[in-house]
Amino acid sequence: MPNIPIAADRGPDSHEDDGDTVVLRGTGIEKSYDSRLPWGRGVEVLDGVDLEIGASEIVGIVGANGSGKSTLMQVLVGALDADAGSVERSGRVGWCPQESLLYDRLTVAETFDLFGAAYGLSDEAIEDARERLADRLDFEEFLDYQVRHLSGGNRQKVNLAVALLHDPDVLLLDEPYTGFDWETYLAFWELTEELTERGTAIAIISHFVSERERFDRIYELRDGDLVETDGDGSPADRSGDDAVADPTEVA
Amino acid sequence: MSGGATASGGDTAGRPPADRTRRDRLATGVLAHVREFLREPVHVVLLLALPPLVVEGYGRAMASFPEFPYMTAVPATLGRINGAVFAAAFLAGLIGLFQVVSAVQADGRLGVCGFSRTELFVSRLGTVAAVSVGSAVVTFATLWWRVDVAAPAAAFGALVLAALTYGLIGVLIGTVLPRELEGSLVLVFVSDFDDFLASGIVDVDSPVVTLLPLHYPHALFRSAVLEGAAATDEALAGLAYLGVLFLVVLGAYVRVASGGEGA
Repeated sequence: MPNIPIAADRGPDSHEDDGDTVVLRGTGIEKSYDSRLPWGRGVEVLDGVDLEIGASEIVGIVGANGSGKSTLMQVLVGALDADAGSVERSGRVGWCPQESLLYDRLTVAETFDLFGAAYGLSDEAIEDARERLADRLDFEEFLDYQVRHLSGGNRQKVNLAVALLHDPDVLLLDEPYTGFDWETYLAFWELTEELTERGTAIAIISHFVSERERFDRIYELRDGDLVETDGDGSPADRSGDDAVADPTEVA
Repeated sequence: MSGGATASGGDTAGRPPADRTRRDRLATGVLAHVREFLREPVHVVLLLALPPLVVEGYGRAMASFPEFPYMTAVPATLGRINGAVFAAAFLAGLIGLFQVVSAVQADGRLGVCGFSRTELFVSRLGTVAAVSVGSAVVTFATLWWRVDVAAPAAAFGALVLAALTYGLIGVLIGTVLPRELEGSLVLVFVSDFDDFLASGIVDVDSPVVTLLPLHYPHALFRSAVLEGAAATDEALAGLAYLGVLFLVVLGAYVRVASGGEGA
């Protein structure tokens, strides 16, 4: 793959971008979990994974249970250190983990306040984002509910909204639509389309991809390696492609 | 990070220029964690009910204990004094443990979103300190109702010292052994052993006892309650112990946080 330089840190208002700008690059990522007991069994999860995502791209990452998809995402976002390799990120990163890692006894509104403070947002910016996302994902009536009292689907909406709160340039989503009803599922894809049109790069992890046409590229994580596929398990015929696909061509 | 792995691109979350001061972010974190604690009814019930039960239970149990020459008060009073220190310390230890263990994954996400490890650590400690002082207030009020306290301010200070010391021990156990059941068991054994030997109810003549976390708080508290004296040497030693413990906890936290634990 030609090594396209990663974009410089894009700052808060830098969504406009073309699809050839790499905003996330992982190179030679290796990760294994070693047992702390001398007789325990270690597991090698990632074995030299390379991945690049360009601005405005939407990329799918599929793989069997236990193939290491969530581990890869945690390494890419910085929640987990790799044993070897490097990760370069540009701009703001949003992460929606598979399990909604939220504080159960805070209300939804307080959750936004806390994570907004972590992102460094002002009170006004948090309030604006909260209202916009609650309206878009349809959880306005639950803003005063404690997270532990939400249904699984509503909890997942809040989980996703926290990742979107600071208007990220790179969005990493791990099984983001688990538990969504049909309306929310469609709203989710509308939202991703809008985000990619504005230059946001999105990576979505899933067990399988049912709507191939929604993705610019699909990778399968298999035996610790990331292989580009056509979405049906067969390797993609990408001869002649650049490292970062032109989204208009792929779509 | 190990094995030569690197990451770049600004902060972990690539966060925007902060519109908030660090103090503001810390206050938001501490407030959120205190809210979380107080919204669990079991926590509030424990905070309010455990100190009276322990203080009075120890007092009544000790009432039938023989009075030995080395004792500085009647056994029932010693029992209540001992119960007060144990209740304040043990509650704070539990709070410290659960503050770390129960929210470790959500804290990890908050870290990815922009809270630095220092901010996470300080906000957790701030919460432990706030609730520890709360447990000391309830415990002290319970004791004062049953025992004449010669120097209330010094006695309350000694209880806060005991609570803060065990709050840190709870954080330490939770950091090194991040499991609720196993961590609780370790805390129970450590605090029971510590309280029994440091209480003055049994006459233990060994320099090793001075290394126990409750040794100085117990000595300070007895002195303040019974004699009305603020034992300066014990106070300084207790504060030094707290300082060293803080550094140990900080070291353990940084070591674990930088170890990249995760599923």
